[in-house]
Amino acid sequence: MSDLKKQSWMTSTAEQYGMLIAMLVLVLLFTAGVAPGALSVTNLATMTTVGVEIGLLAFGETLVILGGGGGIELSVGSNLALTQILIAVMVQHHVAMLPAALFGLIIAGALGSLNGLLIVVARIPAIIVTLGTLYAYSGLALVFSNGVNLSVFPNSFNTIGQGSALGLPFQFLVFYIPVALIMWYITTKAVFGYQLRLVGTNEKAARFSGINVGWVRFRAYMLTGLLCGLAAIIQSSRFATARPDAGATDNLNAIAIAVLGGTYIFGGRGTIIGTALATAVVTMLSFTFGYANINSVIETGTVGAVLIIAIYGQTLLQDLLKRRGRET
Amino acid sequence: MSDQVQIIELKEIYRAFGGTQALSDVSFDIKTGEVHALIGENGAGKSTLIKIITGVLQPDSGEIFVDRKPVVISNPLEARNLGFAAVYQEPLIYPYLSVMENMFVANPPLKKSGSVDRHEMRRQIAPIFSQLEIPHSLLEMHASELRLGDQQLVLIAAALLQNARLVIFDEPTSILSASETERLFRIIKFLRESGKGVAYISHRLEELEGLADRVTVLTDGHVVGEFDASKGLDIDGLYRLIAGVAMREYTHREEHRVAADTGSESEVVLEVSGLSNPPLYSDLSWSVHRGEVLGFYGQVGSGRSEMAMAVYGLLPAQRGAIRLEGRDISPASASHAIRRGIGYLPEDRKSQGIFGWLSIRENLISVILPKLTAFIGHVLKKKTINLTEDYRRTLKIKIASTNDPILSLSGGHQQKVMLGRWLAEDLKVLILDEPTRGIDVGTKREFHRFIRETADQGLSVVVISSDLPEVLAVSDVINVMRKGRLVATFRNDGNVRPEDVVKHALAAGE
Amino acid sequence: MTESLADVEQAKATRRSPVAWFRASSFQYELILAALIVVVAVGVGIVSHGLFWRAANISQILVDVAITGVPAIAMTLVMITAGIDVSIGSLAGLAAAVVGVTFENGWPTSLAILMALVATTFGGLLNAFIITRGKVPPIITTLGTLSIWRAVVYALLGGSWISTIPPFLVNTLVLAKIGRYIPYAFLGAVLLVIVGAWASRTRPSFRGIFAIGNNEEAASIQGIPVRKLKFFLYTAMGLLAGVAGLLMLAQSPVVQPTAGTGFELQVIAAVVVGGTRIQGGKGSIIGSVLGAILVEVVQDAVIMFHIQSFWQSVVLGGMILVSVLIGMRGRRQE
Repeated sequence: MSDLKKQSWMTSTAEQYGMLIAMLVLVLLFTAGVAPGALSVTNLATMTTVGVEIGLLAFGETLVILGGGGGIELSVGSNLALTQILIAVMVQHHVAMLPAALFGLIIAGALGSLNGLLIVVARIPAIIVTLGTLYAYSGLALVFSNGVNLSVFPNSFNTIGQGSALGLPFQFLVFYIPVALIMWYITTKAVFGYQLRLVGTNEKAARFSGINVGWVRFRAYMLTGLLCGLAAIIQSSRFATARPDAGATDNLNAIAIAVLGGTYIFGGRGTIIGTALATAVVTMLSFTFGYANINSVIETGTVGAVLIIAIYGQTLLQDLLKRRGRET
Repeated sequence: MSDQVQIIELKEIYRAFGGTQALSDVSFDIKTGEVHALIGENGAGKSTLIKIITGVLQPDSGEIFVDRKPVVISNPLEARNLGFAAVYQEPLIYPYLSVMENMFVANPPLKKSGSVDRHEMRRQIAPIFSQLEIPHSLLEMHASELRLGDQQLVLIAAALLQNARLVIFDEPTSILSASETERLFRIIKFLRESGKGVAYISHRLEELEGLADRVTVLTDGHVVGEFDASKGLDIDGLYRLIAGVAMREYTHREEHRVAADTGSESEVVLEVSGLSNPPLYSDLSWSVHRGEVLGFYGQVGSGRSEMAMAVYGLLPAQRGAIRLEGRDISPASASHAIRRGIGYLPEDRKSQGIFGWLSIRENLISVILPKLTAFIGHVLKKKTINLTEDYRRTLKIKIASTNDPILSLSGGHQQKVMLGRWLAEDLKVLILDEPTRGIDVGTKREFHRFIRETADQGLSVVVISSDLPEVLAVSDVINVMRKGRLVATFRNDGNVRPEDVVKHALAAGE
Repeated sequence: MTESLADVEQAKATRRSPVAWFRASSFQYELILAALIVVVAVGVGIVSHGLFWRAANISQILVDVAITGVPAIAMTLVMITAGIDVSIGSLAGLAAAVVGVTFENGWPTSLAILMALVATTFGGLLNAFIITRGKVPPIITTLGTLSIWRAVVYALLGGSWISTIPPFLVNTLVLAKIGRYIPYAFLGAVLLVIVGAWASRTRPSFRGIFAIGNNEEAASIQGIPVRKLKFFLYTAMGLLAGVAGLLMLAQSPVVQPTAGTGFELQVIAAVVVGGTRIQGGKGSIIGSVLGAILVEVVQDAVIMFHIQSFWQSVVLGGMILVSVLIGMRGRRQE
């Protein structure tokens, strides 16, 4: 029996953190090779600034994928774009900044909830729903903005995305850290987190245990929407502009980060810590590309490759451990 | 018949699963032109034997001879090539393909151009369909549109198409109407006359009269008798045999539970009347009193689990009433039922019960989670740990730490964890569905002891089981279900004859 | 009540009334789609005061149908196996980029086109390999390769765009027409569709594809070469995506780094609208082409009525959702 224990321990730890550590090392080497000046303190601060937004999206993605049943969110980036535009439009129509931002949060939550509704109640596969809303939401962002960037925010708004607090970027200290802690708490200590993992591990058994599977999964999508809203506020503050084409690369990157962080694509396994670490890795990679003046398209391509290699690697590792288990 | 030839012979087959021995020293053979029936209760090992013949499973030891030559049947394809075909209750495998295509998917006849030759398919199938009295219009329908009885016929047709020489029927009549059953028997006799060998697995002894040439009785993985049935069948004798052997198999004799003689009538806790959900079950009315153990005995497919799930809120009935402590309830979800004090342990531990790679603790608290919290859903770790320690002690689970993955436990211990889920809940009724399936004898007895003790403390327990000694060991009252109906009730007062119980569960007819 | 084969044939022959014929037909969904197309086209034609029916507009729609319809052939089969490929947009862009770059560097037309198709077929092969060997789910794989090839396109074009395109493409495929309405591109597409639809109904390996979608495990046990078939499908998908990319180039002879972005949604929309189940097992190539026609007509209407083109993607997303919902309602009746 102890062999089995050792094996499953190995599998989960190796999978979840080994991959990350390998990635981190690779990225550091890559950075050192391609852009040696990149890892200065100032640059690390900039990285942190940029990483907050995608980091929040990745947390949401983690929740949705954890819930299993084919759950996935392909439209987080589009939600991000649509929400920023709508906030800007509200400001244009003389809504004060604070209420506009709050409304924005609610709208983003509603957008995520729509996904959840279609997936849980109408039982349409998540891939299709979020693929559809990916285009629908970004299309609407273009519609409401008439295709142009909207720089309508008051200067006071800039602090969120451009200010600093206690020497750290404002959004990092005030938003990312607290949210990360809350997310960590939710997934490890709260009933919702336990139930999410149970649902993702064995949907039938969860039902037999009296858990309302649909309600659990719906809340994951709703929460993700809220996170998109928060990221929208932060990003539009950072650029002092609401851009309708925002988040185009975030859809894939969020999934990539979640999976790299050890979230098992079929549900039931994943940690916030892992996702946070993976966010750091990907953000660092992205920054290095930017520093070396490589277009973001190339960066996205690399992330795509990394994602595939990571999952391919996961499968290989599982097969390897299974084979070794048979031999013992 | 002197010109009968042996098709397949299995000799001294042993096969175990985890801790349980499914087959021990089983020998079985089938000849051409005969119908050899294999009878026994659920769990007797019939399906395992069939799976070995069809190449799905391998025996641990023993030999198989086909045409008197030793063979190894390592996969279903090989079984098919040897001419063995099985007719299961499962639906046809390709739901959105036409019936005709379903039959020819692997090896369609081709035209010279290499295209699929549908005409040729029809030409080959037509005579078979006619022989089996199947309407040809079925050919173009999607497989999923067929009634179960028709799907079965198509499977038979497919077997004939493959030129099978051994056709295996596994509990075929459980899904058929009376007229469909008659049609099936005509077809089986036709198969016999055509020189095919037929293996007929069933637990309905009455059906075999006039149908079977030989009958082999399987109980608890052992062959307990082989009889020539061509001249008639002593059905009562068979029932006695099955019941008796089942009872004798218990190496440590458990005492039958003798129903407590409660002076004053203890109150009715759960009452079900007229509960119906056709075709799963109909018109069920029963009740269980406080501190009573109510056993439901019957074979798989008799509707017991579905009935339990109606009480538990997962599969609401179409008609009928459920009353808990006198009040009408209609649980629409499991959490409703749980809140009212009804608990349910599902029968399939692997797919419905455990959370594979999660820890023992996480498995234990899956039900009680909402009650472990303080304010915004915070799960109190201390409470959880105390709870799990309580469980550990109560259920005597031997583990190092509750953080270990649940799969590191034996089947019996896993089942204890399943049971543990309900210990802290404030239950009025606990329904256990096949609680000791696939578990070693020692743990079985612990479970039975636990059931009796909990009932004595005031809980009402409903035990669904296909294990006769188990039902007799724990129940105060035994309800027998067959084909979705409640056919008999016995008070377990020490005078119950096991063969009577078995008879009601297995008999065909109606 | 035994029906003999002869009886059934007899009964079929006498069922001549159109309603009964429709009820008995296995092409019900396709017929409804065709009717819908006619209704929408006529409606748009009326509302646009006949502008819809101008030769220039119709031939442009037909080219669009060819662009969407050709990859839809492979996408239908891919989705029947419960798979998906969202990288075809990037692959189409890749084809355009390769043609542009090679032609600009003096390669002859035929070689440039060949190179483009080789590149996209390789892309399909890569998908096929990762999906069948690495067991990475198709959605993740193709999301990944979507970005990889998009990066390659960008790198090939050096970030700018190319407008030197082999004239052959525009002249032969788009401008040359039969009558004033039917460009050769459309004819070629129709030919491919006919071949594809025929093959999917009559060739045993294609029937095997349907089996995989219905019950992959059983198909594998029964000896159907699941891996080989999937491999073929994703590779073919790459090739056809390249063809679509070339047609796109023929229609607007400029290659930008964003060429083909969002194209996968159009093809998926066409296939879903055409009646193919997302979960696999059921689908028809004819249906997908009809779906492509409907999608293109609706999108053309959006442009024609001066609705902001941004609404196009919203409309597409909506059509997908509606089709899936309709499909699910039909299934609940089973």
